[in-house]
Amino acid sequence: MKRFLIPALALLCGLPASRPLAAHHSSSSYDMEHPVNMKGVASKVEWTNPHVFIFLNVKDEMGSVEEWRVEGNSPNMLTRVGWKSDMIKPGDELLVNGAAAKNGAKVMRLISVTLANGQKYDGQGFK
Amino acid sequence: MIGTKRKGGSGFALRRRPVSFLFVAALALPLILLAQNPPHPNPVKQRGLVMAPDFSGVWFIDEYRRNLLPKEDPPFQPWALQKFKALQEEKIHQDPDDGPDPTERCIPPGIPREMGQPFPFEIVQARDRVIMIFEYQSLIRQIFTDGRGHPQDLEPTYMGNAIGHYEGDTLVIDTVGFNDKTWLDPMGLPHSDQLHVVERLRRVDHDTLVDEYTIDDPKAYTKPWTAQKVFKLKPDWQIKEYVCAENNNVK
Repeated sequence: MKRFLIPALALLCGLPASRPLAAHHSSSSYDMEHPVNMKGVASKVEWTNPHVFIFLNVKDEMGSVEEWRVEGNSPNMLTRVGWKSDMIKPGDELLVNGAAAKNGAKVMRLISVTLANGQKYDGQGFK
Repeated sequence: MIGTKRKGGSGFALRRRPVSFLFVAALALPLILLAQNPPHPNPVKQRGLVMAPDFSGVWFIDEYRRNLLPKEDPPFQPWALQKFKALQEEKIHQDPDDGPDPTERCIPPGIPREMGQPFPFEIVQARDRVIMIFEYQSLIRQIFTDGRGHPQDLEPTYMGNAIGHYEGDTLVIDTVGFNDKTWLDPMGLPHSDQLHVVERLRRVDHDTLVDEYTIDDPKAYTKPWTAQKVFKLKPDWQIKEYVCAENNNVK
């Protein structure tokens, strides 16, 4: 009995802590009518469902660095327009075009990304 | 040693047995299948099947848009209009990590929203049903075309219960049995558990499929209203994996 109880209790105790935030965003949170450009350096890429996340360090007007989370579409749609999971690496300079969150959070919905070599990729995968 | 030899001997026999067994099985298979699936008793239906329009293939929304009705409002019941307006207000201030859209928590989008998501779906036509395999959330929709009606004791579901029949070049799909936990479109048009969706699916040319909807939901709308979605054939695409449950939390 103990054998089952302990893992079960551990699982129950862990549940509130591990409950995921809704990290899957519809585009209604973003100002899709007014897309903007941002230049930055990638710090991390998460090749995850349902959205691919690129974390981008962007210098603001005062010269201080802010981290933005840039969300592309899902891996299945992005691979259809040529993306590869290892296409963007930490340290890569990127130019992104996208829609920022309406509420002012440093989160952007990606429309397109241009790599340092000039190659441009659709960030939605259905244009 | 003897035991080893025996094992080896039986191993040899085992290697041969499947070959001969497969040979016999291959000869017998058509007979077995014939016995299990006798010719269709209804020749009219069978003839109808031959004449059924071909919708098979991978299809993708032609122009993704967030409004099911781009130009006007549907005929809301007062509570539905109030709910819809409040939602649009809420969206302006929403935290992108905690929005009101049910699909953000991997809740199925329901019908008709699933059809218009910016992800492909494949149509497979079987003898007694049309199967839609949706990439978005890896959902499957079965539309029974064998003449059955909706079950009497339907429990509410996200995708509803769908039956269909062919009218010439059109597949008419009748879906009921919905819960009220989904939106009709990404903007958040509400509906009730009385939602009844009738679709007329027609292949207007080789590469184009048109789905005309009638939304009939007397609890949420004062009268039935119609909308349309257009899909394009994607001959080089196949349905890929989409794991909503990962929810950007697996590192």
